Amino acid sequence: MPSSLVSISVHQWLTLLGILCVVFSELHAAEPLPLPPETLLADPANDPAWRDLFTKLAPTKTRQSKFEERRFFPFRKEPVVLTGEVRIVPELGLSLRYLSPEKNTLIADAKGLLLRDDLGRERTPPNDSRAQAATSALVRVLRFDLAALQRDFAVHGRREGAAWTLSFVSREPAFTTLLGTLTIRGENGALRAIEIVKSPTQRIEITIRDSVEDVLFTGDTLKRFFR
Amino acid sequence: MENAASRPKWIARLVLLAFAAGCAAWLLRLDHAAKISTNVLDLMPAAEQSAELGVVRGFSQGAPARVVLLALRDPRAPETPPAAAARALAATLRGSPAFAEAVVIGDPAADTDLGKKIFEHRFEWLLPTWLAAREREFTATGQAPDGFPRWLAARAAADLESFLARPEAAAMQEMLPRDPLLLVPALAEQARLLAAPGAQAGGHALVWALTRASPFTEDGQAPVFAAIAAAQATHPDLALRWTGVSRFAAASRARIESEIKLLNTLSLLAVLGVSALLVRRAWKLLHLVPIILLSIGGAWTISTLLFDRLHMLVFVIGSLLSGVAIDYGFYLYMQPSLRPDETYGDKLRRLLKPLLASCLTTVIGFSLLLFSDLPLIRQIGVFVSAGLLCALGAAMLYFAQLERPLLEGRVGGGLAGGGALARATVRLLAVAALLVALLGPFRLRWRDDVRQLDLPSADLHANDAAVRALFGESAQRSLWLTHGATLAEARQRLGAFLSARSEGAGSVGQLLPAAADWSAWQGRRAGLASFTAEFRAALAARGFTAESFEPFFTAWDEARARPASTYESLAAELRGALTGPLTLLSNTTTAPFWFLTIVERPTIPPPARELHTIGLNQLASLNELFTRYRWSALRLSLVGLGLVIGSVFAIYPWRRGLRIAVIPAGACFFVFGALGLAGQTLNLFHLLGAFLGVCLSHNYAIFSAENAAAGTAPPVPVRLSALSTAASFGVLGFSRIPVIHALGMTVALIVLTSLLAVELEPLARRKNA
Repeated sequence: MPSSLVSISVHQWLTLLGILCVVFSELHAAEPLPLPPETLLADPANDPAWRDLFTKLAPTKTRQSKFEERRFFPFRKEPVVLTGEVRIVPELGLSLRYLSPEKNTLIADAKGLLLRDDLGRERTPPNDSRAQAATSALVRVLRFDLAALQRDFAVHGRREGAAWTLSFVSREPAFTTLLGTLTIRGENGALRAIEIVKSPTQRIEITIRDSVEDVLFTGDTLKRFFR
Repeated sequence: MENAASRPKWIARLVLLAFAAGCAAWLLRLDHAAKISTNVLDLMPAAEQSAELGVVRGFSQGAPARVVLLALRDPRAPETPPAAAARALAATLRGSPAFAEAVVIGDPAADTDLGKKIFEHRFEWLLPTWLAAREREFTATGQAPDGFPRWLAARAAADLESFLARPEAAAMQEMLPRDPLLLVPALAEQARLLAAPGAQAGGHALVWALTRASPFTEDGQAPVFAAIAAAQATHPDLALRWTGVSRFAAASRARIESEIKLLNTLSLLAVLGVSALLVRRAWKLLHLVPIILLSIGGAWTISTLLFDRLHMLVFVIGSLLSGVAIDYGFYLYMQPSLRPDETYGDKLRRLLKPLLASCLTTVIGFSLLLFSDLPLIRQIGVFVSAGLLCALGAAMLYFAQLERPLLEGRVGGGLAGGGALARATVRLLAVAALLVALLGPFRLRWRDDVRQLDLPSADLHANDAAVRALFGESAQRSLWLTHGATLAEARQRLGAFLSARSEGAGSVGQLLPAAADWSAWQGRRAGLASFTAEFRAALAARGFTAESFEPFFTAWDEARARPASTYESLAAELRGALTGPLTLLSNTTTAPFWFLTIVERPTIPPPARELHTIGLNQLASLNELFTRYRWSALRLSLVGLGLVIGSVFAIYPWRRGLRIAVIPAGACFFVFGALGLAGQTLNLFHLLGAFLGVCLSHNYAIFSAENAAAGTAPPVPVRLSALSTAASFGVLGFSRIPVIHALGMTVALIVLTSLLAVELEPLARRKNA
């Protein structure tokens, strides 16, 4: 019994380790970039100019694409480049399979985020409320859950011909401090890029290509890349 | 003449009254809470031979046992944790004298505070371990020692570049210019290796609290319950679930107390019921009540005088004494005078030999239990021996006060009335019993489980599991405790244990460098003067802007220039930074020093002995201990039995002695054989019950010796004695405490088997009689 009770302490220790990065990010975060106020969408769910795009982006079909992620760090001259595949199954969520330089899988679903390494070991973000808020917000963006997005984010939109850009700024300042501004870009009904920008020197750009819809994933694939 | 004749009566009465008054005075002024324990660990020797179990014992009775977990939920908003109410609850508990500490789990302010401290102290707490590991790797390359700073710089820059491709790198990017050696990310890596805690707190707000007093004491129970109730009263609309060792301890005490009352009452009623069936003028049985009370009172008094602390199980088992203590009273009371003018003194002298033989042989046997390693067995040995001596003394003195004491039996005949067919049947039964006794014991299975010592409380266990699940406890991990006589030794062993793990493992001890690494860092600082320049160059070569890392270089120079401090002060600094639940993950203050490690496996192979690391699967440890004590109890029982048999042969001729020895031993083997054939699993308490049953059966074999020699049925007192004993132990067989059930059932079966043997013996031997 005492050993059971002390395991709560262990849990607390693990939680603390998990949030070390969160804590530090809060302490030394850069100010998020401001967005032009004229691009703010007051009610995107009912805005005819955007409603159709959101409907198309919401995952209703299975999808598989390739991606390239470029991470820009303020202390490095060139970005770090990661490549991989993204899979979407509407009922199961979204899966990012990193292939280089390390093999990892990041799963975003209704339960939140899950990281699975190449040996099958899994990790979820810490139970700290700040980290949970950040991950659940990410999941909502990636799933294009418009009702939830409108509640939690100020949505900015811009169109140039067939190209469009949507930016999400959290209404919760702590989240913006942690993650920055999320921007997605595309053409017509296709998503081409995701950007997470904290500052000009701190950002992540993910470009998406070779998308295929209505992919028939095997049971093994679903088991390997989702939960 | 009348005065002279009544003097012994008055003396006997005065002795009895003085004894009763002495016992009453002692027992009434006794601090029962301090004297009587319900803690299972008190059943273990205080100085257990195994040092590691001693550590577990100390750990289990220390601060971890004082933890209380509370989960608050608002039924009106079931998805939203009532955080404000939890903070208020924690504050109320902190204000109570019953609690030493109470914190809200997941409090961002507290987590941030500790996270900052870890980062600020990274050069003292993390760098020495990192540097020692790199130096070992460098030594393995075989390069010249003066090349270490350059090698170290190149290695650190390569590691940093590789880290940037990790998923957590983006989240830690603000930290990296201050920590390019990845000291803090490496610590956080433990969280990556270990599966997520998976707390399912849902809409609950969680409070962790520590009581001031041990949960096994009164101060650690009622005041704690009152404080929690008072805190809950301030939020009557919220649902509160909580758990703690104190709840189990209090429930255990309450249940055992009610068990004692019930068993004592039922035992007394069973004995009186059996007696009423076998004697005329049943009201005369009331004369036996003072003897039973004096016997039990004497046993309580002597036991509490001799032991500082007794486990409550002793008193539960002691409730059987009423069934045994009545034996001597029956024998004295039911023996008619040989002649009309035979005085009580003459009768007593006539019966003294079997009475003393019966009582003293049993006392000798139970006295052997005093040499047991197990406190419970020692306490039972004293309790029963003292009770039997008191019962004999009380019976001899009590009946001295009565004019011609005689209790007439209702049944005079026996089963010995059959012919050749009955004789053949009995002999056939004897052969069958012999086969069972010889073959059955080989099919016995033995298993001791410490949980059988307590009453199962399913509701409390279910609540406990539910609350712990809310706090994120997972059955997929195991906890390991690494200990040492000194802090340095414990930390060095922890390092060895962690190095040997291929699966995920993490310990708060990793925040404290090993003493050798700490000393090495103190001496190594001067030799790393060129590292700064080498690292700048290595970073630039890997595509980094070296000037971005100025915060690190500044902190590095400060750390190198910092005055040396002692290992103890380093540990004290770390200790001061840990608060709340984290304080329970290590003991860096007093010996034995220890660190807990969590391993990402429910079980792992036992670590090598030299690592001094034990699993906190406490039950398994104690079960092994109990198994060891079972064999110790078996050895003592066999020696005791040898002494009893030796005493019998010393008192009686060898043929009669052989009969007296064979009946109880045969009954014991028969019962074990039958239980073995029935597929029963036995434990230490079956063995203890068997020893008790054999000692009691000796009485019946001794008391019936004269009748057996004459080929007649055993005397009524033997039947009465055996049946009342079987009844009282049979009552114990209904106990909800598994070990009491085991003990009661074993004794009742052996006693009944012995009685059957004594009853059937004349029938089987009729032809020769």
